[in-house]
Amino acid sequence: MARLGRFAAIGTAFALAVVCTASAQEVKTAAKYGDMSTVTQDLLNRAGGDGNNFLHTNGDYNQLRFYPNRQINVSNVARLRPAWIFQTEVKESLETTPIIVNGVMYVTTSYNHVYALDARTGEELWHYKQKLGPITTYCCGPNNRGVAVHGDMVYMGTLDAKLVALEAKTGKLVWQADIADPELGYSETMAPTAVNGKILIGTNGGEYGIRGFVKAFDAKSGKLLWTFYTIPENSVGVWAEKDATGRHMLRDIAAEKAQLAQTGDPYKTLGGGVWQNPAVDLALNRIFFMVGNPSPDLDGSLRPGDNLYTNSLVSVNLDTGQYVCHFQYIAHDVWDLDAVSPPILVDVRNSQGQVVPGVLHAGKTGHVYVHNRNDCSLIRFSEAMVPQENMWVLPTKEGARMLPGANGGVEWSPMAVNPGLGLTYAINLHQPMTYHVESSPYPQGKLWLGGAFKVIPAEEQWGNITAVDYNTGKIRWQVKTPQPMIGGVLATAGGLVFTGEGNGLFKAYDAETGATLWKFQAGAGVNAPPSSYTVDGKQYIVVGAGGNVQLDYKRGNSIIAFTVD
Amino acid sequence: MAGLLWPCLPGADAPSRHGTAGRSRGVRAAVLATTLMVLCQASRADPIEEKVQLCNACHGENGIPQDVQTPVIWGQHQGYLYLQLRDYKRGTRKSDPMSTIAETLERDEMMALAEYFAGKPWPRLGQPSASDAVAAQAQRANVAVNCTGCHLGAYQGDGTQPRLAGQRREYLVKSMIEFRTRTRGNNPGMSDLMLSISEEAIAACAEYLAGLQ
Ligand code: HEC
Ligand code: HEC
Repeated sequence: MARLGRFAAIGTAFALAVVCTASAQEVKTAAKYGDMSTVTQDLLNRAGGDGNNFLHTNGDYNQLRFYPNRQINVSNVARLRPAWIFQTEVKESLETTPIIVNGVMYVTTSYNHVYALDARTGEELWHYKQKLGPITTYCCGPNNRGVAVHGDMVYMGTLDAKLVALEAKTGKLVWQADIADPELGYSETMAPTAVNGKILIGTNGGEYGIRGFVKAFDAKSGKLLWTFYTIPENSVGVWAEKDATGRHMLRDIAAEKAQLAQTGDPYKTLGGGVWQNPAVDLALNRIFFMVGNPSPDLDGSLRPGDNLYTNSLVSVNLDTGQYVCHFQYIAHDVWDLDAVSPPILVDVRNSQGQVVPGVLHAGKTGHVYVHNRNDCSLIRFSEAMVPQENMWVLPTKEGARMLPGANGGVEWSPMAVNPGLGLTYAINLHQPMTYHVESSPYPQGKLWLGGAFKVIPAEEQWGNITAVDYNTGKIRWQVKTPQPMIGGVLATAGGLVFTGEGNGLFKAYDAETGATLWKFQAGAGVNAPPSSYTVDGKQYIVVGAGGNVQLDYKRGNSIIAFTVD
Repeated sequence: MAGLLWPCLPGADAPSRHGTAGRSRGVRAAVLATTLMVLCQASRADPIEEKVQLCNACHGENGIPQDVQTPVIWGQHQGYLYLQLRDYKRGTRKSDPMSTIAETLERDEMMALAEYFAGKPWPRLGQPSASDAVAAQAQRANVAVNCTGCHLGAYQGDGTQPRLAGQRREYLVKSMIEFRTRTRGNNPGMSDLMLSISEEAIAACAEYLAGLQ
């Protein structure tokens, strides 16, 4: 009996092991998609025309956020309904763009959790929690904006400034690399970009006196390949007196020159974070990204010069990180009206009416800027999407009122483009603020604002979604929202534009007219960029509803996938 | 553990029993002397428990500090605690007892102490909830400069961002005013923010935060 029992037990154990392996196998390969889960460079290159997957945070290397499937469209979107809702373990600010590879979805949450989900059912396949080090230094919430996918791996940047590579099938950690020292104010919230065997990532820290960068790591080994410092050793520039739109910035250039003679170039602590993904021009072998504000944000007295390349569009060589060109919107910024929303590569008409490769960027100033891709030069800027008043009054001790407030205009929220219509869609904030200046020396990685921007509580705040014709700079349509907007936009070939609001509403608009065609109350702020995918022949729209720290919108923990059936 | 320590101290009476606000000065001086002695005696390899006993003398055996101007450190975040010890040593934050104490600590000891205290439960001080009027004033300050954008939901903090909920009111006022005057010089950003709001708003914030848990 005893013998038999043991044998039986062994038998059972064996059977169990087999069962487990079988089901684990199923999980790993997401059922019938099995071998297709390797993300090749070719798939990544063609993502813009891929009507099944959503492979890049901003849709494709051009960052159009234009999904080519039209199954969900203007005529049936009214019937859109939740297919499933997945609740994460973390009820905090969600900024993730869901990435979908052959029926498997990858999402991240605040505090660097990663989930792999079955994109048809929302069922959890695995869950990875990064064990964060004790030192994390971040200004605007414990956010994460998602993963990059490449080969058999998924990649994420962490709040303690590391880059981690996980096995896509299991969520197991493959390697981890230090990007920078969090004790000096560096942190990561952006999604990395995967291209040609490299993982590209910028950094936060413009509020802490960092020296910003974009770095390229080897996708296989995690080895650092190159670093481009967003702040060159000569950051002085041309002493520009006017901003990109020709407005005078009231700089005291004599005082700056005197300061420069005294203290030298401030490049080592000048800030210049890169918050969002670079766009990749595969033909030119160049990347384009936005560089954020100088440190300290509001006090220019310690940082003479134009503070290159803060508040700029910058292009560098993809293989080497060598500088190619830049365009600075605001030299020597003292308002934190910096450049954050990711650039978009699209053909545009130049001032002679010729079609040329262009770059779009939506600024915190409330303008969409249109550039020539070759030399980064400015072709035009759009009408202002939000009220601008008193620009550029200098910050004072008591506080000077100026519009837009320091969050924009357009914050980090990515735009979406409908190239057929020649429209780009931006979400904006109207948040009246006073700008205050204070001066203090570099605090070695501590918060270094050089003053404060204060919301004026008595003044009304609101937001809008604006469609801009990038070939003329004219606003085509605009819809006002009751609260300032932050999150992101998705456009689809179905003639739709999707974006969410802090009050929990997630809406579909007619891409041509701005008519609201559908809305859904998600129960928490929808402040993450939506994405779309198709699996088993059915198109879905998916978005995170977790609220937002920066604007204090109601927190939640839902990933919601919608479909029409 | 106390048995291990106190015999080698002059006047071996545990200072925690004397820790009223009125007498805190003398107590602090005494504790400081003992702290330094023991810290100096302790070799690098010593377990941090010995140091912990000394910290507890002021910060509380049960996590409740004796003096109202001594902050709760039980349950505070590790990164924040570490940075404060580092800054006391660097001299960017100054305090009679803490500067001297931190001077003797190396980075790994600071980290270990920070980890130890971060792992303790945050104590209940039982401070009263703020009135609606005070809470509303604190909320106006939050709308103006977005305290919770950094101190996070319910003022719980994370990483290097301190928890404020349930901290001692008197200490909160003191720390905010010292940011305002830059007497506390280890975070110019907080100083700038405190300069942009009024002293009344600071008092309201402190009262409101003290009443949270
Ligand atoms: C003699 C009393 C005393 C002793 C002993 C003492 N502390 Fe303190 N501690 C204080 C006081 C008082 C403050 C507030 C000082 C200030 O305002 O800067 C303080 C502040 C701190 C802070 C900053 C907390 C915050 O919220 O910013 C930390 C961290 C700290 N102590 C850790 C320790 C550690 C660790 C030890 C033991 C190695 C210790 N202290 C021993 C009295 C003491
Ligand atoms: C931009 C980010 C930010 C904002 C906004 C902010 N704080 Fe802070 N605060 C910090 C940081 C970082 C520290 C830690 C300082 C240090 O490193 O010593 C801190 C420290 C403090 C402390 C000291 C805690 C201690 O234990 O000593 C208090 C009190 C405080 N803040 C209150 C507030 C209040 C009230 C507001 C809003 C009116 C506010 N803060 C807004 C970042 C911020």
